[in-house]
Amino acid sequence: MQRTLAVLRYVAPKLIQFAFVIWATYTVTFLLIHLLPGDPLLAALSVKGGDATTTDPETLAVLREKFGLDGSLWDQYLGNFLAALRGDLGVSIATGQPVDAMIARALPNTASVAVLALIFGVVTSVVLTFLAFLTPSRWVRQTLLQIPPLGVAIPAFLSGLVLVSVFSFGLGWLPASGTRNPAAVILPAITLALPIGAIFFQVFSSAVLDAMRSPYVFTAVAKGVSPRSIFLRHVLRNSLLPSITILGLLIGYLAGGTAVVETVFSRDGIGRLTVDAVLARDATVIQGVVIVVALVYSVVNLIVDVSYGVIDPRTRGALSGRRSVGSAAVPAVASAVVSAPAGASAPATETALTEAGTES
Amino acid sequence: MRNLQKPGVIIAGLVLLAALAAMLVPSLFATHDPFEGVAADKLLPPSESYWFGTDHLGRDVYSRVVYGAYLSLVSAGAAVLVGVIVGAIVGLISGFVGGKLDFVVMRFVDVLIAVPGVLLALIVVAGLGFGPWSVALGVGLGAAGSFTRIMRSQVVRIRNEEYVEAARTLGVKWPSILLEHVLPNSAKPVIALAALELGTAILAVSALSFLGFGAQPPTPEWGALVSSGRDFVATAWWLSIIPGAVILVVVLAVNRLARLIGEER
Repeated sequence: MQRTLAVLRYVAPKLIQFAFVIWATYTVTFLLIHLLPGDPLLAALSVKGGDATTTDPETLAVLREKFGLDGSLWDQYLGNFLAALRGDLGVSIATGQPVDAMIARALPNTASVAVLALIFGVVTSVVLTFLAFLTPSRWVRQTLLQIPPLGVAIPAFLSGLVLVSVFSFGLGWLPASGTRNPAAVILPAITLALPIGAIFFQVFSSAVLDAMRSPYVFTAVAKGVSPRSIFLRHVLRNSLLPSITILGLLIGYLAGGTAVVETVFSRDGIGRLTVDAVLARDATVIQGVVIVVALVYSVVNLIVDVSYGVIDPRTRGALSGRRSVGSAAVPAVASAVVSAPAGASAPATETALTEAGTES
Repeated sequence: MRNLQKPGVIIAGLVLLAALAAMLVPSLFATHDPFEGVAADKLLPPSESYWFGTDHLGRDVYSRVVYGAYLSLVSAGAAVLVGVIVGAIVGLISGFVGGKLDFVVMRFVDVLIAVPGVLLALIVVAGLGFGPWSVALGVGLGAAGSFTRIMRSQVVRIRNEEYVEAARTLGVKWPSILLEHVLPNSAKPVIALAALELGTAILAVSALSFLGFGAQPPTPEWGALVSSGRDFVATAWWLSIIPGAVILVVVLAVNRLARLIGEER
C-alpha cells in the first residue's frame, strides 16, 4: 500500500505535466490559427475553389457547422477540445475526410522512418565515440569528434537530394520515393539520422568524457582493465543514462524534420500531411496534427521520465518510499551533462534542446 | 586578435563577408541577369561562363544564388530579431515580476520549446498566408522560447544583485531599473544565443521556402532554388545540390563565428 502510494507520488506530477502540455499545445495552436488575421474557413475555401469561392452566408453557415468553426471563439475552443478528448478531430476542410483517419493512415509511415533514423543516429554516435575513445592517436580522436556536429548544419533537403542522386539515380540500389517498397524507408531514415545523430552525439560524447574523469574509471585503469572493457562495462552504461533524457526532445525534432524529408522522398506521412494542410490552409487538419504530435511527444517524455526510475538503481530509493540522496542527484547530473556542450561546441538547435532539458 | 590566426575562423569570416556582400550589392557579383534566361542554354552543367550551370529556362544558377542571398539572409535575420525581441520582453517581465506570473509564463514557454520549430512556423504561415515575412515571423516565434528562458534566468540572477537593490533603495522606478541595470547586464548570453540561432534560422527559413511557403517564383531564394531544381535532380543535379551546398557552407561559417562569440563571453 505504502509502495503504491510512493509510486503514485512519483508519477502524479508527471501525469499532470503530461496533460498540461497537450492542453497548452492545443490552446497555443488554437490562438495562432484564430487570432491571426483572416477567417480560417474562407482562407481554406479560397485555396480550394479559387474565384469560384462561395460567399453565400447560408452555405457558409452550414460549412462552418460541419467543420466545427461555428459559434463564438469560446464555443469553438471548448467544443473542439472536448471533441478531441473523445478522439474526434473533426473533418478536413480540403478533403472532407475525417482528420483522425487521415492521421492514422499517415502515422505508420512516419513512425517507421523516425524509429529507424533514431536507431541509425544512436548506433553511429556510440560507435564513433567508441572509436574515438579507443584510438591512441590524438589527431584521429579530434577528427572523429569534429565530424558529427556537421550533421546539424546540413539542410535535410540537401542531404536527401544527394542521397537520392547517388544511391537511386547513380547506383540504382535503393528506391527514390514512395512507401510501397520496404527498402524505400532507408534513405529517408539516413537523411533524418544525420541531425538526430549529431545532437545525440554531442550529449553522449560529453557524458562519456565526464564518465572518463570519474574515480571508477581511474580505479579500473589502475587495476589494468583493457580500454575496451572499460568503455563497454563502465563508461557506456553510465553515459547512456543521461543521454536518454534528450531522446524525448529528439522526438520533437523528428516531427519537424519529417516535413522536409517526406517532401524530398515523396512519402505519405505526418510531415507531408502537415505541409499539404498548410498549403490548403486546412485549419482542422493542422490542429489535429499538432495535437497528435504533442501526444506522441508527451508519451515519449513520460516514458523517459518513468524509465529513469527503472533503469537507474539510484532513483529507486524514492520509489520505495525512502528519501535517498541519489534520487535528487541523478536528474541534476543529467541536466549538468546535457547543458555541458551548450557553451563549448553546440550548434543552435542543440542549445535550444539542452535548455529544454535543463529545467524539466 | 589571437582568433584571427585560426584558419577555420578566417575561412568562416571570409564566407560570411562574401555572403553579406552578395546580399547588399548583388549586381557587383552576378555574372548574368537572374531573371532573364537564354532558352538555347537551358540545363547546361557548370562551365566557365555558367559557374553553377543553368536551369530549365536557361537562367544562370550562380547569379540566382547571388541574388537569392538577400531574401534568405534578411528573413533569417528578421526571424532572429523577432525571437530576441519577443523573448527579451517576455523574459525580462516574467523574471522581474516573478511569483505566479513567472510560473505560468514559463510553463507556456516550456510548451513553446516543445513544439517543433518547423511545425510552429507552419502554423503561423497557415494563419498569415505565404511569403518570406510570415516565414520569418513563424521561425522567430519558434525561437522566442529559448530566448525567453535565457533572458529570464539572467534577470533572476541580476534581480538580487546589490546594485539593483541600491537603485531600488534610492527610489529609482522599476521601468528604469529594468532598462538601465537589468537589461544591459543580461544582454551577453542573449547575444551569444542570437548568433547561434542565426544558423538555425537560415536552415529553417530555407527549409520552409523549400516546402513552398516562402518566396514565390521567379523570386530567387536559396531554399526555393533547391526546390525548383528538385524535378531535374536525376539529370541536372547542380540545380539543387549547388544552392544547397551554398546554404551548408554559410550555416557552417555562421556557426563557427557564433561559437567564437560564445567562447568569449
